[in-house]
Amino acid sequence: MVGSKLFVRRRDGRIETRLNEFARTVVRDAFANVLAAERDSHHEWHVSLSGPIDPSLDHDNPVSMLARQNETSTNAELAQLTVDEQYLTDTEAWAWLTSLQVALRSTAQAKGLLSDEQLAACDEDLLEYVQMLQQFLFQLADCF
Amino acid sequence: MALTKPLHTTSTEGAVLVDDAVETQKPWNVIVWNDPVTPMSVVVVIFKRIFGYSNNKCTQLMMAVHHEGRALVWSGARDRAESYCVKLQVAGLQSTIELDN
Repeated sequence: MVGSKLFVRRRDGRIETRLNEFARTVVRDAFANVLAAERDSHHEWHVSLSGPIDPSLDHDNPVSMLARQNETSTNAELAQLTVDEQYLTDTEAWAWLTSLQVALRSTAQAKGLLSDEQLAACDEDLLEYVQMLQQFLFQLADCF
Repeated sequence: MALTKPLHTTSTEGAVLVDDAVETQKPWNVIVWNDPVTPMSVVVVIFKRIFGYSNNKCTQLMMAVHHEGRALVWSGARDRAESYCVKLQVAGLQSTIELDN
């Protein structure tokens, strides 16, 4: 994957996805996990999806919590629906970016990667997965 | 055709209670917290998309998050602060709100 662009903004405004089957599988799993975590309170990513909005309160505003849940699910669903597409609209690409970022940060939180030192000391497979998500995000962000 | 009944609304002059004690509410701050994995360029793109800030301002805020561990990205009414906080969380950034001190 290194050395070639994974996402390219075309002149017609769409974003071309140049992912091989392996990369697309990684992305597909990330989207599926975000959706699963939103629906399953026992999923290891669920905690990072339900962080406090106002930490000074025992409970956040239920309306805001519902809005967060809906928007996260909507993005992940749209990303999942378009995971095999070669060309994405701006809205679809934004859904990819937010869902990948949620997956990245949820992974870090679930695996205890809360500092640069912990990230540097984590096992090789986990570091490779994190770096892969970072690479997707870095290149996708470049299209906006 | 002479009008015998008034067509205008009744004046409330003199009936309005004037409260001289104007209470200024403290603003609510939206805070974004640093994490070790999020690419810097992603933070900039998210700030631009959610707040519509300039590229320079987004970059400055991102650098503040990176170097100081947190940055105040928006300040104002509580309901809007909460809405922005939710948008940032949906975009995968760690964000909270707090009352301005």
